[in-house]
Amino acid sequence: MVRRFLRLLARWPSERALLVACALGLIALGIMVAGIVLGTPLPVVASMSVAQGIGVLACLLFGLSIAADVASKRPEQ
Amino acid sequence: MGSAATPIGALAIASAGIAALLLIHHLVVRPKLQATTRLKLLLGLAVFPFIAAVSTTASGMARTTEATFCGSCHVMETHVSDLQDPNSISLASRHGRNEHVGPHACYTCHADYSMLGYPLTKITGMMHVYHYYFSGYRKMPLEEFHKEVRIAKPYPNANCRTCHSGKLASFMNVREHIAVLDELEANKVSCASAGCHGVAHRFSKRPEEL
Repeated sequence: MVRRFLRLLARWPSERALLVACALGLIALGIMVAGIVLGTPLPVVASMSVAQGIGVLACLLFGLSIAADVASKRPEQ
Repeated sequence: MGSAATPIGALAIASAGIAALLLIHHLVVRPKLQATTRLKLLLGLAVFPFIAAVSTTASGMARTTEATFCGSCHVMETHVSDLQDPNSISLASRHGRNEHVGPHACYTCHADYSMLGYPLTKITGMMHVYHYYFSGYRKMPLEEFHKEVRIAKPYPNANCRTCHSGKLASFMNVREHIAVLDELEANKVSCASAGCHGVAHRFSKRPEEL
Protein backbone atom coordinates (compact mmCIF):
# COMPACT_ATOMS: atom_id res chain seq x y z
CA MET A 1 0.00 0.00 0.00
CA VAL A 2 2.73 2.43 1.05
CA ARG A 3 4.94 1.32 -1.84
CA ARG A 4 2.09 1.85 -4.29
CA PHE A 5 1.51 5.32 -2.86
CA LEU A 6 5.24 6.09 -3.17
CA ARG A 7 5.21 4.85 -6.76
CA LEU A 8 2.28 7.13 -7.45
CA LEU A 9 4.13 10.00 -5.81
CA ALA A 10 7.17 9.35 -8.00
CA ARG A 11 5.04 10.14 -11.06
CA TRP A 12 3.45 13.21 -9.44
CA PRO A 13 4.23 16.38 -11.47
CA SER A 14 5.47 18.39 -8.48
CA GLU A 15 6.57 21.55 -10.27
CA ARG A 16 3.33 21.90 -12.20
CA ALA A 17 1.18 20.97 -9.20
CA LEU A 18 2.92 23.67 -7.16
CA LEU A 19 2.15 26.27 -9.82
CA VAL A 20 -1.51 25.17 -9.80
CA ALA A 21 -1.48 25.31 -5.98
CA CYS A 22 -0.12 28.87 -6.08
CA ALA A 23 -2.79 29.92 -8.58
CA LEU A 24 -5.56 28.29 -6.51
CA GLY A 25 -4.15 29.90 -3.36
CA LEU A 26 -4.27 33.33 -4.99
CA ILE A 27 -7.89 32.78 -6.06
CA ALA A 28 -8.82 31.69 -2.51
CA LEU A 29 -7.05 34.68 -0.95
CA GLY A 30 -8.75 37.01 -3.45
CA ILE A 31 -12.21 35.71 -2.49
CA MET A 32 -11.39 36.06 1.23
CA VAL A 33 -10.26 39.67 0.78
CA ALA A 34 -13.34 40.43 -1.36
CA GLY A 35 -15.57 39.13 1.44
CA ILE A 36 -13.92 41.42 3.96
CA VAL A 37 -13.71 44.52 1.76
CA LEU A 38 -17.16 44.32 0.12
CA GLY A 39 -19.03 42.98 3.15
CA THR A 40 -22.15 42.02 1.16
CA PRO A 41 -23.85 38.63 1.60
CA LEU A 42 -22.56 36.65 -1.38
CA PRO A 43 -18.85 37.61 -1.05
CA VAL A 44 -18.99 37.10 2.75
CA VAL A 45 -20.58 33.64 2.37
CA ALA A 46 -18.10 32.75 -0.42
CA SER A 47 -15.16 33.89 1.71
CA MET A 48 -16.22 31.52 4.48
CA SER A 49 -16.96 28.52 2.24
CA VAL A 50 -15.75 28.45 -1.38
CA ALA A 51 -12.50 30.29 -0.60
CA GLN A 52 -11.64 27.93 2.22
CA GLY A 53 -12.42 24.88 0.07
CA ILE A 54 -10.10 26.15 -2.68
CA GLY A 55 -7.47 27.01 -0.04
CA VAL A 56 -7.59 23.49 1.39
CA LEU A 57 -7.22 22.07 -2.13
CA ALA A 58 -4.17 24.27 -2.75
CA CYS A 59 -2.69 23.19 0.58
CA LEU A 60 -3.25 19.50 -0.27
CA LEU A 61 -1.57 19.96 -3.64
CA PHE A 62 1.38 21.57 -1.85
CA GLY A 63 1.57 18.71 0.67
CA LEU A 64 1.47 16.06 -2.08
CA SER A 65 4.07 17.89 -4.14
CA ILE A 66 6.48 18.13 -1.22
CA ALA A 67 5.88 14.46 -0.38
CA ALA A 68 6.49 13.55 -4.03
CA ASP A 69 9.67 15.58 -4.10
CA VAL A 70 10.96 13.92 -0.94
CA ALA A 71 10.01 10.47 -2.27
CA SER A 72 11.75 11.07 -5.61
CA LYS A 73 14.96 12.09 -3.84
CA ARG A 74 14.97 8.92 -1.70
CA PRO A 75 14.01 6.17 -4.17
CA GLU A 76 15.74 3.46 -2.16
CA GLN A 77 13.26 3.96 0.70
CA MET B 1 -18.75 48.83 3.79
CA GLY B 2 -17.11 45.60 4.86
CA SER B 3 -15.05 44.88 7.92
CA ALA B 4 -11.59 45.85 6.63
CA ALA B 5 -11.31 48.58 9.26
CA THR B 6 -11.75 46.19 12.20
CA PRO B 7 -8.60 44.66 13.76
CA ILE B 8 -9.61 41.13 12.75
CA GLY B 9 -10.41 42.28 9.21
CA ALA B 10 -7.05 44.06 8.98
CA LEU B 11 -5.30 40.90 10.21
CA ALA B 12 -7.05 38.85 7.51
CA ILE B 13 -6.09 41.31 4.78
CA ALA B 14 -2.49 41.57 6.01
CA SER B 15 -1.96 37.80 6.16
CA ALA B 16 -3.70 37.33 2.79
CA GLY B 17 -1.44 40.04 1.35
CA ILE B 18 1.77 38.42 2.65
CA ALA B 19 0.64 34.99 1.37
CA ALA B 20 -0.27 36.50 -2.02
CA LEU B 21 3.19 38.13 -2.34
CA LEU B 22 4.89 34.80 -1.60
CA LEU B 23 2.71 32.98 -4.15
CA ILE B 24 3.15 35.63 -6.86
CA HIS B 25 6.93 35.50 -6.27
CA HIS B 26 6.86 31.73 -6.82
CA LEU B 27 4.70 32.03 -9.95
CA VAL B 28 6.93 34.72 -11.47
CA VAL B 29 10.41 33.52 -10.45
CA ARG B 30 9.69 29.74 -10.50
CA PRO B 31 12.64 28.83 -8.27
CA LYS B 32 14.02 25.30 -7.84
CA LEU B 33 12.39 23.25 -5.12
CA GLN B 34 14.93 23.74 -2.31
CA ALA B 35 14.46 23.99 1.43
CA THR B 36 13.98 27.78 1.32
CA THR B 37 11.43 27.45 -1.51
CA ARG B 38 9.54 24.82 0.48
CA LEU B 39 9.55 27.07 3.53
CA LYS B 40 8.28 30.05 1.51
CA LEU B 41 5.53 27.89 -0.01
CA LEU B 42 4.63 26.52 3.41
CA LEU B 43 4.18 30.10 4.60
CA GLY B 44 2.33 31.14 1.43
CA LEU B 45 0.07 28.11 1.05
CA ALA B 46 -0.51 27.00 4.62
CA VAL B 47 0.53 29.30 7.49
CA PHE B 48 -0.62 32.74 6.28
CA PRO B 49 -3.71 31.42 4.44
CA PHE B 50 -4.69 29.59 7.66
CA ILE B 51 -4.44 32.87 9.62
CA ALA B 52 -6.37 34.61 6.81
CA ALA B 53 -9.07 31.90 6.80
CA VAL B 54 -9.58 31.97 10.58
CA SER B 55 -9.71 35.77 10.74
CA THR B 56 -11.95 35.93 7.64
CA THR B 57 -14.39 33.54 9.32
CA ALA B 58 -14.34 35.53 12.57
CA SER B 59 -14.74 38.80 10.69
CA GLY B 60 -17.46 37.35 8.42
CA MET B 61 -19.45 35.98 11.35
CA ALA B 62 -19.25 39.38 13.07
CA ARG B 63 -20.22 41.15 9.84
CA THR B 64 -23.36 39.01 9.49
CA THR B 65 -24.66 40.43 12.79
CA GLU B 66 -24.60 44.05 11.54
CA ALA B 67 -27.81 45.76 10.42
CA THR B 68 -25.99 47.26 7.41
CA PHE B 69 -25.24 43.69 6.26
CA CYS B 70 -28.96 42.84 6.29
CA GLY B 71 -29.69 46.17 4.59
CA SER B 72 -27.32 45.39 1.72
CA CYS B 73 -30.11 43.34 0.10
CA HIS B 74 -32.56 45.82 -1.46
CA VAL B 75 -35.62 44.15 0.08
CA MET B 76 -34.29 45.05 3.55
CA GLU B 77 -33.34 48.65 2.76
CA THR B 78 -36.57 50.12 4.14
CA HIS B 79 -36.31 47.98 7.29
CA VAL B 80 -32.83 49.33 8.00
CA SER B 81 -33.60 52.92 7.03
CA ASP B 82 -36.65 52.84 9.36
CA LEU B 83 -34.40 51.42 12.07
CA GLN B 84 -32.00 54.32 11.65
CA ASP B 85 -34.69 57.01 11.35
CA PRO B 86 -34.59 59.12 14.55
CA ASN B 87 -38.18 60.28 13.94
CA SER B 88 -39.70 56.82 13.45
CA ILE B 89 -41.92 55.52 16.23
CA SER B 90 -41.95 51.91 15.03
CA LEU B 91 -41.11 49.23 17.59
CA ALA B 92 -37.99 48.29 15.62
CA SER B 93 -36.75 51.86 15.44
CA ARG B 94 -37.32 52.46 19.15
CA HIS B 95 -35.14 49.43 19.84
CA GLY B 96 -32.60 50.48 17.20
CA ARG B 97 -32.03 53.75 19.07
CA ASN B 98 -30.76 51.78 22.06
CA GLU B 99 -26.98 51.91 21.82
CA HIS B 100 -26.64 48.28 23.01
CA VAL B 101 -28.89 47.12 20.19
CA GLY B 102 -28.43 49.77 17.45
CA PRO B 103 -25.74 48.54 15.00
CA HIS B 104 -26.77 44.90 15.52
CA ALA B 105 -30.53 45.47 15.83
CA CYS B 106 -31.64 42.86 13.25
CA TYR B 107 -29.49 40.15 14.82
CA THR B 108 -30.31 41.10 18.41
CA CYS B 109 -34.06 40.76 17.85
CA HIS B 110 -34.12 37.92 15.30
CA ALA B 111 -31.36 35.62 16.63
CA ASP B 112 -32.27 32.28 18.15
CA TYR B 113 -31.26 32.31 21.82
CA SER B 114 -31.64 28.57 22.45
CA MET B 115 -28.69 26.27 23.18
CA LEU B 116 -28.00 25.69 19.48
CA GLY B 117 -29.17 29.20 18.65
CA TYR B 118 -26.01 30.49 17.01
CA PRO B 119 -25.71 27.82 14.28
CA LEU B 120 -29.52 27.77 13.84
CA THR B 121 -29.50 31.54 13.31
CA LYS B 122 -26.70 31.19 10.76
CA ILE B 123 -28.59 28.41 8.92
CA THR B 124 -31.68 30.65 8.79
CA GLY B 125 -29.50 33.46 7.46
CA MET B 126 -28.14 31.15 4.77
CA MET B 127 -31.74 30.35 3.78
CA HIS B 128 -32.36 34.10 3.41
CA VAL B 129 -29.32 34.38 1.12
CA TYR B 130 -30.57 31.35 -0.87
CA HIS B 131 -34.06 32.83 -1.25
CA TYR B 132 -32.65 36.22 -2.23
CA TYR B 133 -30.36 34.93 -4.96
CA PHE B 134 -32.20 31.82 -6.16
CA SER B 135 -35.92 32.18 -5.30
CA GLY B 136 -36.60 35.45 -7.05
CA TYR B 137 -36.48 37.92 -4.12
CA ARG B 138 -33.55 39.67 -5.77
CA LYS B 139 -35.71 40.76 -8.69
CA MET B 140 -38.85 41.38 -6.63
CA PRO B 141 -39.96 45.03 -6.40
CA LEU B 142 -39.96 46.36 -2.85
CA GLU B 143 -43.72 47.02 -2.82
CA GLU B 144 -44.43 43.43 -3.85
CA PHE B 145 -41.99 42.12 -1.25
CA HIS B 146 -43.73 44.09 1.51
CA LYS B 147 -47.10 42.82 0.34
CA GLU B 148 -46.20 39.15 -0.18
CA VAL B 149 -43.32 38.11 2.08
CA ARG B 150 -43.80 37.46 5.78
CA ILE B 151 -41.58 36.19 8.60
CA ALA B 152 -41.08 32.40 8.24
CA LYS B 153 -42.22 31.53 11.79
CA PRO B 154 -44.24 33.59 14.29
CA TYR B 155 -41.88 35.93 16.13
CA PRO B 156 -40.96 34.24 19.46
CA ASN B 157 -41.88 36.21 22.59
CA ALA B 158 -38.89 34.54 24.26
CA ASN B 159 -36.68 36.85 22.19
CA CYS B 160 -38.36 39.91 23.75
CA ARG B 161 -37.91 38.38 27.19
CA THR B 162 -34.19 37.88 26.59
CA CYS B 163 -33.92 41.58 27.56
CA HIS B 164 -37.37 42.40 29.03
CA SER B 165 -37.84 40.14 32.03
CA GLY B 166 -41.29 38.67 32.53
CA LYS B 167 -40.62 38.21 36.26
CA LEU B 168 -40.21 41.81 37.37
CA ALA B 169 -42.90 43.95 38.97
CA SER B 170 -42.83 46.31 36.00
CA PHE B 171 -44.13 43.41 33.89
CA MET B 172 -46.31 41.60 36.41
CA ASN B 173 -48.10 44.77 37.55
CA VAL B 174 -49.52 45.34 34.06
CA ARG B 175 -53.04 43.87 33.96
CA GLU B 176 -52.89 43.22 30.22
CA HIS B 177 -49.82 41.04 30.71
CA ILE B 178 -51.52 38.98 33.45
CA ALA B 179 -54.65 38.53 31.31
CA VAL B 180 -52.72 36.86 28.49
CA LEU B 181 -49.84 35.32 30.44
CA ASP B 182 -50.52 31.76 29.25
CA GLU B 183 -50.99 32.88 25.65
CA LEU B 184 -47.72 34.83 25.86
CA GLU B 185 -45.94 31.73 27.18
CA ALA B 186 -47.42 29.61 24.40
CA ASN B 187 -46.58 32.28 21.79
CA LYS B 188 -50.28 32.48 20.83
CA VAL B 189 -50.25 36.24 21.45
CA SER B 190 -47.27 38.20 20.20
CA CYS B 191 -45.73 41.06 22.18
CA ALA B 192 -45.20 42.73 18.79
CA SER B 193 -48.82 42.72 17.66
CA ALA B 194 -51.55 45.27 17.14
CA GLY B 195 -53.20 46.09 20.49
CA CYS B 196 -50.04 45.18 22.43
CA HIS B 197 -46.75 46.89 21.60
CA GLY B 198 -47.52 47.20 17.89
CA VAL B 199 -45.89 45.49 14.95
CA ALA B 200 -42.16 46.02 14.62
CA HIS B 201 -42.04 47.05 10.96
CA ARG B 202 -45.30 48.93 10.29
CA PHE B 203 -44.46 50.03 6.75
CA SER B 204 -44.23 46.41 5.59
CA LYS B 205 -47.73 45.44 6.70
CA ARG B 206 -51.08 45.55 4.94
CA PRO B 207 -53.69 47.82 6.65
CA GLU B 208 -55.64 44.81 7.98
CA GLU B 209 -52.50 43.58 9.75
CA LEU B 210 -52.05 46.79 11.77
